[in-house]
Amino acid sequence: MRELSMHILDLAQNSIAAGASRLEIEVAADTNADRLVISLQDNGRGMAPDFVSRVKDPFVTTRTTRRVGLGIPMFDAAARACDGRLAIQSSPGKGTYLAATFKLSHIDRAPLGDIASTIVTIIAVNPDLHLRYTQRVDDKAFIFDTDELKTQLDGVPLNEGPVLKWIGEYVKQGTSEETEIN
Amino acid sequence: MLLANIAQNLNLNPINEPSADVEVTSGYASDLLSDVLAKAKNGAIWATNQKHINIIGVAVMLNLAGVIIAGGIEPDENTVAKAREENIPLYITETSLFDVAGKLYELGLRST
Repeated sequence: MRELSMHILDLAQNSIAAGASRLEIEVAADTNADRLVISLQDNGRGMAPDFVSRVKDPFVTTRTTRRVGLGIPMFDAAARACDGRLAIQSSPGKGTYLAATFKLSHIDRAPLGDIASTIVTIIAVNPDLHLRYTQRVDDKAFIFDTDELKTQLDGVPLNEGPVLKWIGEYVKQGTSEETEIN
Repeated sequence: MLLANIAQNLNLNPINEPSADVEVTSGYASDLLSDVLAKAKNGAIWATNQKHINIIGVAVMLNLAGVIIAGGIEPDENTVAKAREENIPLYITETSLFDVAGKLYELGLRST
């Protein structure tokens, strides 16, 4: 994919499809180690060990509409192309943790892209999801958490137009300075 | 145009060729799998420098007429195995991706 944020959107949909009510996404750049780590942790139904061992294969999918699934295989291939790897931990009933590492400066590493729009899209479609997004560069961090926002909104749904617009601007602003990742 | 004509014209090296009697209706060249998924047409022949098993996944999903790995790149073992299992015609060639795309265009194929 052209942007890493597109992988994040795709994998977030996996979490939703797995019945997750909570999803934590973290994008962390370590400039000294020249490493970028993208991780997703959900509380969805998880995968059995046998399925985890095969899930990087595009011909393994839970989809019933077609028999090829490319979300995780493409994320794995993107990490491998950048001297990294995709690690998957999952247990049935508890949830799934995915973490892809990339060499930050690798020439084939796609840019992070429009993460603000990605967050807005996830919330627009899943307003009841507890989403926590963290973007780190070394010791600086930006955190956006839908539960913190909900307590301030006092019952206004997150997928109301003005709320989504505010979230988009807030995330865009928050990820554009000390925690900017290109 | 038949796959056999293309294979012969471009002097492609068949890795898996269940049948070359396949009608090819368009062509596509890209290394970005998501781009191929979005834009290549059913029945297209696809030229790429990727060699990962995911290319066969893309070929199955789009019902492609065949895949050409250009630039002298060898496919991964599981890519070849899966191409056989899924009856996806798979070719390799020393010719660069640029030249493969140019030759397909010369033969009259378009991406649309």
